[in-house]
Formats: sequence, C-alpha cells, structure tokens
Amino acid sequence: MASKKSDIDGDDTLFGSLDKATVVQEARAFNESPINPKKCRLILTKIVYLLHQGQTYQTQEATDTFFSISKLFQNSDVSLRQMVYLAIKELSGSAESVFFLTASLTKDMNSRSDLIYRPNAIRALCKITDASTMQSNERFIKQSIVDKKPDVSSAAIISAIHLSSLNREVVKRWANEAQEAINSKGVITQYHALGLLYLMRQHDRMAVIKMVQNYARGSLRSPHAIVMLIRYTWKIIEEDDSGSSRQLFEYLENWLRHKSDMVVYEAARAICSLKDVTPKELFPAVSALQLMIVSHKPTLRFAAIRTLNKLAMTHPNAVFPCNLDMENLITDSNRSIATFAITTLLKTGNEASVDRLMKQISSFMSEISDEFKIIVVDAVRALCLKFPSKQTLMLNFLSGALRDDGGYQFKSAIVEAIFDIIHSIPESKEFALSHLCEFIEDCEFPKLAVRILHVLGAEGPHASSPTKYIRFIYNRVILETSIVRAAAVSALAQFAVYLVDARERIKVLLDRCTDDSDDEVRDRAAMYLRILNEQDLATKYIADDSTFALAALENNLDHYLKTPASFSRPFDIKNVPVVSKEQEQADRQRAQAAARDRAATGQAAPAASAAAAAVPASVSEAAAAAASPFDAQSIYAKAMERVPQIAALGPLYKSSSPVELTDPVTEYIVTCIKHVFPQHFVFQFECKNTLNDSLLENVTVVMKMQPSDDPDAAGLKPEFVVRAEKLAFDIPASVYVVYRRLGGVTPTAEFTNTLQFIVKDCDPNTGEPDEEGFEEDYLVEDVEIVVGDYIQPTYVPDFERAWAELGDTHQVVETYALTAVTSIRSAVSTVMDLLGMQALDNSSAVKENATTHQLHLAGTYVGGIPVAVRARMAFNPSTGVAMEMAVRSRHPVVSQRVANAIQ
Amino acid sequence: MELTLVGLQNSGKTTLVSVIANGQFTEDMIPTVGFNMRKVTKGSVVMKLWDLGGQARFRSMWERYCRGVNAIVYVVDSADHAKLPSSRMELHNLLDRQLLAGIPVLVLGNKNDLPEALSEDELIDQLELKSITNREVACYSISAKNSVNIDLTLQWLMKHASSK
Repeated sequence: MASKKSDIDGDDTLFGSLDKATVVQEARAFNESPINPKKCRLILTKIVYLLHQGQTYQTQEATDTFFSISKLFQNSDVSLRQMVYLAIKELSGSAESVFFLTASLTKDMNSRSDLIYRPNAIRALCKITDASTMQSNERFIKQSIVDKKPDVSSAAIISAIHLSSLNREVVKRWANEAQEAINSKGVITQYHALGLLYLMRQHDRMAVIKMVQNYARGSLRSPHAIVMLIRYTWKIIEEDDSGSSRQLFEYLENWLRHKSDMVVYEAARAICSLKDVTPKELFPAVSALQLMIVSHKPTLRFAAIRTLNKLAMTHPNAVFPCNLDMENLITDSNRSIATFAITTLLKTGNEASVDRLMKQISSFMSEISDEFKIIVVDAVRALCLKFPSKQTLMLNFLSGALRDDGGYQFKSAIVEAIFDIIHSIPESKEFALSHLCEFIEDCEFPKLAVRILHVLGAEGPHASSPTKYIRFIYNRVILETSIVRAAAVSALAQFAVYLVDARERIKVLLDRCTDDSDDEVRDRAAMYLRILNEQDLATKYIADDSTFALAALENNLDHYLKTPASFSRPFDIKNVPVVSKEQEQADRQRAQAAARDRAATGQAAPAASAAAAAVPASVSEAAAAAASPFDAQSIYAKAMERVPQIAALGPLYKSSSPVELTDPVTEYIVTCIKHVFPQHFVFQFECKNTLNDSLLENVTVVMKMQPSDDPDAAGLKPEFVVRAEKLAFDIPASVYVVYRRLGGVTPTAEFTNTLQFIVKDCDPNTGEPDEEGFEEDYLVEDVEIVVGDYIQPTYVPDFERAWAELGDTHQVVETYALTAVTSIRSAVSTVMDLLGMQALDNSSAVKENATTHQLHLAGTYVGGIPVAVRARMAFNPSTGVAMEMAVRSRHPVVSQRVANAIQ
Repeated sequence: MELTLVGLQNSGKTTLVSVIANGQFTEDMIPTVGFNMRKVTKGSVVMKLWDLGGQARFRSMWERYCRGVNAIVYVVDSADHAKLPSSRMELHNLLDRQLLAGIPVLVLGNKNDLPEALSEDELIDQLELKSITNREVACYSISAKNSVNIDLTLQWLMKHASSK
C-alpha cells in the first residue's frame, strides 16, 4: 500500500518534471545485477510515460534503451515482466534490430507456467515482427490462435489482424485456425475471431454472405460477435443493388428477438439505416426501439432515441407510434435524451399535438444549454414550415425565446428562423415583423439589429399598415450605435420610395439624420434624399430587384486582379450574369439546406472534401451537383486555373451543364462540359475508370469535327490538348481539348470523340500496375456545340422595357413548326435548353394542356451583347407546336445566330 | 554468477545450455532468434546463462550481453573446418573490445564425438589462442551429445563464480 500511495503523490514530483536524459541515465539500472524489480518497473513506467507525452527517442537512444530492457528478461517478477512487454511495444517503432527479442518472447509465449506471460508476450511479439521474421513466427501464432485459453487465443487473433497489414497472404493461411477459434468458449475471443475471418474475406462478397449465413444460425454466444455480424450483414444488404441479399434481412429481424439488448439495438439500428427500407420492414425495428426508450437504463434510452431521431428525418410516419413514449422522455433527467426526444417529436408530431408539445418545450427551454436550444429552434422552424396554420403559436414561442437570455448564436438562430417563416408563410409576415420590431427595441447584438432592419425595410412597406414600423425604425436612429443607425436610414428610405403618402414626412426624418455624428449615416441620408427627389433614380437604386450572380462576380474580379495586363481596361461587368434577388436567395437557401443535410448526416461533407482533395486536377462531381449553376461554373473555373495553359486563356465566360457521353454502367464513364472563353472553346472530358484491375495512362481525346453547313465552323481551329497522365480506379481525371475561335466566331458544330490511352493491368488490392501496357481506343458519343453555349442567362427586371429599348433595328423573326414535341411544355423546355437563356415574367411555367403560350427570354451573348427573345407558341394535336420566335439585340449577326439556333 | 554463451551459428550453444540445465540432449533445435535467458542452479551457485544467437545479423549484439559478466563461453563446432577461420575472426574481434577487457574466456570445441573433430591442441592452434595475453583463457574439447567433459566445464565455471 505504501508504494501505491507514493505513486499517486509522485504524480507531481516524479512524473511532473521528468527529463528524458535523466531517464535514459536511470535505465542503466537494468544492467545491474541483481535486478531490483520495483525500481526497474518505475523506470519503465517513466519511459512509457515520456513516450505518451509525445517525447521522441532518437534511433540510437531507443535502441540502447531497448536492449537494456532486454536484460530484464532474467528476472521473473510478473509485474516487472508486464511492464517490460509494454515498453517493448512502445519502443518497437523507433528502435533498431527489435527482432532480437523474438526468441525470448516466443519462449514466454509457450511457457506453461504463468498465464499472465502468454497473451502479453504474443502482443509484444506481433509488434517486433517484420516481413523477414514473419515466416518463422507464423507457427507460434497459428498455434496460439487455437489455444484453449481464451485470452491467449484472443491475443493471437488480434496480433494476426495487425500482422495482416504486413503480409496478407500469410495471415490468409490461418483461416482454419480462426474458424476453430470462433467456437472458443471465450466471449471476446469469438468476437475477435469473427473480425479476423471477415478481414480475410472482406473482398469476396460471396464468402462474406456464406459466413453470415453460417453464423447467423445461433452458434455465436458472444453478443459482441453478433453485433459485428449484424454490421457485416447490413453492409452486404446495403451494397447490393440487385436486391438478392434481401433474404439476409430475415436474420436481422430474428436478432430483434435476441436476449441481449446490445444485439437487439444493433439489429434495429441496422434496419433503420437501410437505404430503401419499407414501412413494413421498419415496424418490428421501431417496436424494439420503443421498448428501449422506456427502459430504465439511460444508455439504452439514449441510443434508441438517437436512432429514432435519425429515422424521423427520412421516415417520420414510422416513428409516429412512439410519440406517446417519447413525450415522457421530455422530462428525462438526462438532457441529451430529452433534447433528442423533443426534436424527434417535432418531426413526427401531427398538427393536433403541436400545441401540447410547444407548451412542454417552453417549460423545458430554460433548463438546457444554448447549443441544445439551437437544435430545438431549428426543429421548431421545420415544424412551422410543415404546419403553416400553427405559425402564430410558433412565432409566440420564438419571440418568447428571443426575450430570454442567450448568446449570439442562439439569438441568431431564432432570427434566422423567423426570417424563414416570413419568407415561406406570407400570412405570418405582419405578426412576425411586429415581434422583430419589439426585439430590436432592446437588442444587444448590433449585427442582428442590422439584419432585422434590412428585412423591415424590404418587407415593411408592403404590409397593410406600414407607417407603424417607421416609429420603431426611427427610434434606432436616435438610440443606437452608428452601424445600426446607418441600417435604419436605409430602411427608412425603402419606406419613402414605396409609400408616397409618407414620403414627405420620412424626408423630414432623413433630413435630421444629415446632422448625425457618423459619416456613413450622414452619407446615406444625403444619398437617399437626393434619390428620393428623382423617381428614376429611386427605381434604379432602391426598387431594383436584380443582382449579380455573386459567385461568378467574385470569380471574375479575382481573375481581373490576377492579370495585371488587363488593368489598362476597366473591369467588364457585362460578363457577369445578372439574376433576380429572389433567385440569388433561393440559391443561397438551397446551399444552406444542403449544408444542413450534410451536417445532419455528418459524413457527406468530409467525404466530398476528401474526394476533392484526392483529385485536385478534376472537378469534384458531388460538389458541383450540390451547388447552383453559377457556383458549379466557378468550381470548374478553379479547376482549370490550375492548368497553366488554360489559365492563360482569360476569364471563363460560360460553362455548359455536363453532358454524358457514355452509359453510366460502362467500364469508362465520360462526361463532357463545354466552356466558352473570350477567344477559345474548351471541351472538358471528365473521365472515370470503373475497373479496379486496370490503370489508364496518357489519356487523351481525339475530336473530329463533322462537316457542317455553318460557314463559321471553319474558324474553329484545334489549339492544344491537356492530357490526363493517369486514370486510376475510381479517381476521376479531366482531359481538356482546346479550340481557338478565330476572330471570335461563335459557330455551331458537331464532333465525334475517341478516348485514346495506354491501358495497364494492375493488382486490384494494391493498385500496383504491370510494366507492360498496350494502346487502346474507346469510342464515346458525339458532342455538339449549340448556340446556347455562348449565351449567359441574364435577369432583367422589366422585360417589356428591355425589349423596347433594344428596338427592332436588328430584329430577326423566324417561324418554326416543332413537330417532334408533343406539348407546349416540352417545347418551352427544348427552346430553353437550346438557347440557355433566362426565362422572365414566369413564362417558363406552362399550364397543363395549354394551347397557346408566350415565352420571354433574356441573355447575354459572349462579348457582352444583350439578347432578348420573344417566342409565341401554339399547339395543335395534329401538327405539333408552331412557334414564331422574335430575337432582338444590337448586333445583326447575333440576332440571326440566335434565331437560327432552333433546328 | 553471469555467463554469456557466444559462437557461430550451429555450434551447439543452446544444446549445451539444455544439457547443463537438465542433462538432456535434444536432437532438433531451431536456430536462436535473438537470445535465450536461462537460470541454472548448481549446488549453491545460481548461473545466469545468456545464450545468444550465432547468425551473422546477431553478432554485433554480442558485446552488449558480454559486458560485466563473470566469464564468456565461446563455443566452436570443432568438426566444421570450413568455418574455423571466421570463428577465429569473430572471437578476436569480440575480445578486442575495451569494455570486455579482463573477462576470462572459456573456448569449447564442441561435437568431439564426430570423427573429423579437432583436438584441443589443434583448436588452440587454429584459433590462435596463444596470442591472447591480457586475460585468462581455457580450452576444452567437449561433446554435448555424449556429455563428454561437461563436468570439467562446470568445474571451470564454478571456479570463476567465486573469483568475482
């Protein structure tokens, strides 16, 4: 006891100020004779302690220490020997010639006397085994795997699992032993042995299925092993697209009736996370989880409610039967369980139960931390969007929460939620705005006040009695800090523009603001006063609802700043696509929603970024798919900037959406993205190799232009090709084919494409390719340049005005009979696909069975030329769609080209 | 007392240890990877035997285990004439180490049951034992298999247990 006590006290004195050099000196005691076990054990502890503190030993130091430690094998003190094993394992990484201890360790492994030695010796032996000694140690480990003592067997199996990274083939030969070990009476040994068996077979689907079938019939007693087996089963079912492994589902269902909670839970979780699970299949799993949430064990309750919460995101109806039990969990003393319960209920609850639920939450809010409160607020937001009729209740709850104490993150989440509700439930607007007004009367976060003032300015003037907000806003001018005052001035100006009655009165208020002590506030007030006096300026600057596509704007500005040569000319804003504010906001919301989804699943985001990191030269498809078109374009642009030849072509004008040139199930998958540069046309072929036993090198694409009746097609000259050096399994790479557009022509053309590469066989496991490869061609589908590739969609607030401004000097009118399309709706989408322009006045939405329609489109042709299109369509079931298309621009050639785009 | 057994591979070190420890001769031994440590009690003396591997990759480690021992036992396969030159070289290499100065050496010519085995005198000659002057050197011809001269060896070892 005395020594134990000194160990604890020694934490400061002995271990606190340990110095490596001293410890190395002390290690000399290992060479003394006779050995003092207690002293040596303490020194070993110090060595291991230092290693764990992050101290590194030089190879020489480590080797010296390692060999001094080997002298300790002369003493048979059990606890000393255990410490010796531990130190050997820790030092084995940094010392040289560690295999020197092989004989000593194998002797301990086979000793009959003391049990403590054997498993530990095996684990240490595994650490000092390298490829050269593996063969000679094989016999001992193989023997130990089938040892009668479970702990010896376990240690050997674990060692085998570690060694398989060293030499998989040798370990594979131990399958019989592993199979025997599964029948061991040791519970943990079964678990380990199953892990080893799986490791040997994981690449062989049929073998894994057989293994599952074999052991699912109840020969396993260890719940841990069954849990493992459930995970393997789940993986097989999940990876199988053909549905043939559905029979394994029965096993999962059977395990739901197992006597161990662990197994039941794992089976339920596996079923709940299957990707295409049916309600019928879910039912027993949910019932099992339902029993767990009323269990007296907090761990079980937590695990079950967490799984139900996740399930509620995808299958809220399946979780519905548990609602009553979950409501009891709201008062659970474990707050994590309670939070999960609430958020799950909010997802599954029906309209009738919402009132009761909200009452319970309100009492509960004061007891949890901000972090959980944010989760609850998010759930309430989702619920409110689901049941718009309950918005009064929700808003009351949210504004109540706004008044409570809380940090910025929390308050910001609430304000965000209220904004969302205003946005999607118009009826809630007035009520929500009044809550927000109340909040800014006493808001400690200027950032939030500024955002709320902005929303008040945008929404307030259109409310039924707008003047009541003016008082709240002007109060801010009197009471707040300068940035809030500036925001308030902008909001006031919005009211002045839209409310003619109140304009003069607001001008008086703005006039007062010109005496403000802050520059920004004075400037804004002065600017708005000037604008308000001229109706034209007011509509241009305040009532304008168009904006630039921000991602593209950023990209273009960035490119401009990086090319000093272009400084002689001003930045050309015409190249930036214009979108409506609404559209921009929708894009942003989509991105947010995607981010939220990712946060919810928790894995997609790192996976996507990992993929992006692994393929720096190519575009991460997942990222591109998730983002809006303009964001996708900036991702392409970033990828191309890394290729010096392409970066030299200037700023990217437009990227088309990806076109698939192969079936998605072929050996090589190729998609093409067309990019327009000021003087060039770039084809990006994104290639993916789906064969894990081949490696493609020196990949290129040979393009041949088809004869074309477009005279401009002659102006398209091949310039260069950027090859993909190699295309390994599942790692996409891009080939770029660059054409020059002589004189900036914008031809349409069609190309045949052949993928050319050198293919080499390679080992599917290691990816090591053979030396020898052979050339191969692979024909993919044709790709076409259409007029739409040269046109950026542009948003204009007022189509009629833009149409009139362009004038009919260069108007081209063509009539078409679209016989191939069967409805107005498909005609509209065909035209929009071909032209790549922005539909205005909501003209892209066509009523079902409409017989006539007018489509308004706007865009910017490469070179910054605005184009507007008006297409009138009529549908006749016998002849198809007749269309008269009028194109206007300031450039006759452009008008003609656009008009000819339809073929 | 502490002893270290060294010598080229397949000279019979591990076999000798087991004969000393329990008087048994085992025919098929596996090469020692690293070292074996045995404790043997003879009368009132406890002998710690460090039995080191003889393969070339282990020889650089011999010195570490010879430091501070009561005696070094150098085992030679007296019937393997081809390896004698390298055996001689390794022995002299080892004894030249400063840290091992003065430690008595017992050279054992093992396997004298084989017909082509060298005699003690021939060994002394071949291994140039006469040139070693800074320490006590002894040489016996033994057979671990037939237990020839094992008693003599033990006697010599016991004598040096007390001398330190």
